[in-house]
Amino acid sequence: MIARLLREPLLQFFALGAMLFALYGFVGKRSADAPGKIVVSASRVANLGDGFARTWRRPPSEQELQGLIEDYVRDEVFYREGRTAGLDRDDVIIRRRVRQKMEFLAEAMSAPEPTDQQLAAYLASNPERFRAEDQITFRQIFLSATRRANTIESDSKQVASVLARADGAADAAVLGDPFLLGEEFRGVSPSKLTSIFGEYFSKRIAAMETGRWQGPISSGFGQHFVFISERISGGSPPLDAVRPAVRREWTNTRRLETEQKLYASLRERYEIVVEAPRANAAEAASR
Amino acid sequence: MMFRLSSISGAALAGLCAASVFATTVAAEDLTTDIGTLDKEAAEKAFPAKPPYSPYAGRNFPTRPYFGDTHLHTSYSMDAGAFGARLGPKDAYRFAKGEEVIASSGQRAKLSRPLDFLVVTDHSDGMGFFPQLIGGDPGLLATPQGRKWYDEITSGKGAQAAIDIITSFGKGQMPKGFPTPGTPAYRSAWRETIKAADEANEPGRFTAFIGYEWTSNAAGNNLHRNVIWRDNGAKASLVEPFTTQPPLGSPNPRDLWKWMAMCEEKTGAEILALAHNGNLSNGRMFPIIESFNGKRIDREYAENRTRWEPLYEATQIKGDGETHPFLSPNDEFANFERWDKGNLDLTEVKKPEMLEFEYVRSAFKNGLKMEAELGVNPYKFGLVGSTDAHTGLAAVEEDNFFGKTSSSEPSADRATHPFVKTDKAVIMGWEQTASGYAAVWAAENTREAIFDAMKRRETYATTGPRMVVRFFGGWDFEAADANNRMPARIGYTKGVPMGGDLNSAPNGKSPSFLVAALKDPIGANLDRIQVIKGWVGKDGQTQERIYDVAVSGGRKIDADGRSRTSVGSTVDVANATWTNTIGAGEMITVWKDPDFDPALRAFYYVRVIEIPTPRWTAYDAKYFGIKMPTEATMTTTERAYTSPIWYTP
Repeated sequence: MIARLLREPLLQFFALGAMLFALYGFVGKRSADAPGKIVVSASRVANLGDGFARTWRRPPSEQELQGLIEDYVRDEVFYREGRTAGLDRDDVIIRRRVRQKMEFLAEAMSAPEPTDQQLAAYLASNPERFRAEDQITFRQIFLSATRRANTIESDSKQVASVLARADGAADAAVLGDPFLLGEEFRGVSPSKLTSIFGEYFSKRIAAMETGRWQGPISSGFGQHFVFISERISGGSPPLDAVRPAVRREWTNTRRLETEQKLYASLRERYEIVVEAPRANAAEAASR
Repeated sequence: MMFRLSSISGAALAGLCAASVFATTVAAEDLTTDIGTLDKEAAEKAFPAKPPYSPYAGRNFPTRPYFGDTHLHTSYSMDAGAFGARLGPKDAYRFAKGEEVIASSGQRAKLSRPLDFLVVTDHSDGMGFFPQLIGGDPGLLATPQGRKWYDEITSGKGAQAAIDIITSFGKGQMPKGFPTPGTPAYRSAWRETIKAADEANEPGRFTAFIGYEWTSNAAGNNLHRNVIWRDNGAKASLVEPFTTQPPLGSPNPRDLWKWMAMCEEKTGAEILALAHNGNLSNGRMFPIIESFNGKRIDREYAENRTRWEPLYEATQIKGDGETHPFLSPNDEFANFERWDKGNLDLTEVKKPEMLEFEYVRSAFKNGLKMEAELGVNPYKFGLVGSTDAHTGLAAVEEDNFFGKTSSSEPSADRATHPFVKTDKAVIMGWEQTASGYAAVWAAENTREAIFDAMKRRETYATTGPRMVVRFFGGWDFEAADANNRMPARIGYTKGVPMGGDLNSAPNGKSPSFLVAALKDPIGANLDRIQVIKGWVGKDGQTQERIYDVAVSGGRKIDADGRSRTSVGSTVDVANATWTNTIGAGEMITVWKDPDFDPALRAFYYVRVIEIPTPRWTAYDAKYFGIKMPTEATMTTTERAYTSPIWYTP
């Protein structure tokens, strides 16, 4: 809903024009120097010096500070003259910058620090998001679709029949082809398996037993027989184990909610009138 | 040589093993290396009585590449915000981790697979400050009004507080102590950037680097660099990013390097920089004559550049930077995603003589020549790809391309809108390149491990697909190594990986290389692997040459080291589909330089070419049901470029 509204530039302009005005009103009052006079206050000079020191880890020399002040004055002169000429009006960059500042305000207002209770509740209602992934350790026999273009199906059957009789502990990788990323994978999560072998492989292996050769599983590379020696179940971790992640997700959810609420309530303060384009209006009148 | 596995009894096990080894139809004709018949003894070893000693235990070399983006802008970048980007660094990291987000254009967006790492690099110029409302500012909390807002916010009534605050703004009734620019209660975007990275960083699972872009753009010529920290926010927050506007900043890279040296010395951090888009620098990215003072590059420049800039971003949305047809007329794959009309803002048109100083391959070549003069090679850098997207979305797959800016996120008319338009030239929306990512061979997914791998240049660029590319150089690789069961172990044992050095050739030996590639598990097959060699001849002139070292589909490699038969194409443009019925899923070979002269400096890098696939424009045409302009490219050949291995006599 909000996303659709935000795509309507007209609405943005209506809603934000007033805010922009308010903000500039505030800033304008604050720096209400006499026209024709620019005062670079002592605290401003200190700020310019601080900015330099934060970049260079040393205070500016007298000459450097003069340069910074001169640059500030130049900014101010152009800024004032430009505003007098109305150049700030209807400038999409200024509007967006101001809107961005408003959105920052909203962000600052999504509660600074969540309580443990809030986090625990969030974790309890979103267990899947924080579930620790399984860790699988396995070896594979790889039959390359590239190397065995025409024989992969029959080779695969042969390997299956050998493995049916083989000792589970055997290093059977020599039955197959070398695989560039290796034959043994230790403590790999399903999401990593997806990025290495593709989603189908990852799903299939997740359903397989440990302690015996199984397969084949097809991938974009060919066929894989796998021997899973260990699977450590992820399960639902306690809050202490995932606090940073829960905090991050909680804050993010809060941030989006607050921004949406803020916009909705600000927008309520306006009567929004969208006029039909002139051509249509003329057409409507003639009907 | 197609052995069928025959019926097997226990005693015939040896036969089986041998057969399986022989049953390989390798991708390239010259790959039919024979690793020998396994005898009975070897076969028994394969099925030993007790569990085998694991050759993998204790290994500490990188076993898989990590894919990421070293160059992504968010709404914190002034220009991105102006184009309508609404996603900030936090959203960018979430998206890279595989979460679904709502793009600035209001569309849902998600990656096919998470990335392993990301650097949010917003422009340091104009990064700016944002109002900090509460944040426990004691001055503000001391006022009744401030206290009331604080309580409302902490109890979840933030929106109510906001209304109140904004109303007070308008009436000029803010409590004393309300933050104004320059006071600490204004949050700097840099601090927020650091915080977002530190929060998103999950060692072992996802690496979020702290970084920024120093956007030197003197007269519209792109000299941009991204700066990346190895460290966490505790060190990065000790400085503010270096900017390009004098008097505080400077557009001259020499000043950036000075700032970097200061930063390391005074904060104890470790940082690196990488440049990009030489194609938009109009001859200034890899200079022999420095544009800022008109003098020849000196040793100080060379030392600093090579010290601070171990990598270069060779491919991204604003075009590909490997080489150009003018520079490499014999390279059939050189004419790829060219952006060669002018400089970054198209205020000056391109002249052919500029190209030599803009592209990676010619920079590598000139670097060798300059090293002979200066004693230091200024252009000894590794390669990565990245996006430079200004959307907060590192999404550059052809079927999931979210464009350069928020206004070029998927829409029916993004291809036909001009991207840049001046009186000098026009670049159309369809010319945006859905590219690329950085691949890094690191031992683990942490800031430290990935950063260190970047420093040693063990990286490669891809134009989007996540293919695996291995490249090792040494003096003793032999054909059989291509069939070794552990290519990585043999590679690291006998040679140096991509980004490394070979020195002083042993008597009578030529360098040999173990080269391998595996396709993206959900992507297209591979057409070929090439080794690109560059060197300085006895006459002092730079040279380059391409060798096809592995080609798919049983095509022949001619005596001159080239295979000029095209792999063909299965692309159905109208339906934006292709099939993997041509090409190879994997390739591995050992290649020895047949034209080696131990007295001459040289470099070698690998280029892997995919079979043709639909370009993002084809996916757009299909999805939106539109017709692309006739001049728009509709197919692509994705690729990867590795960092070179250098030979120095």
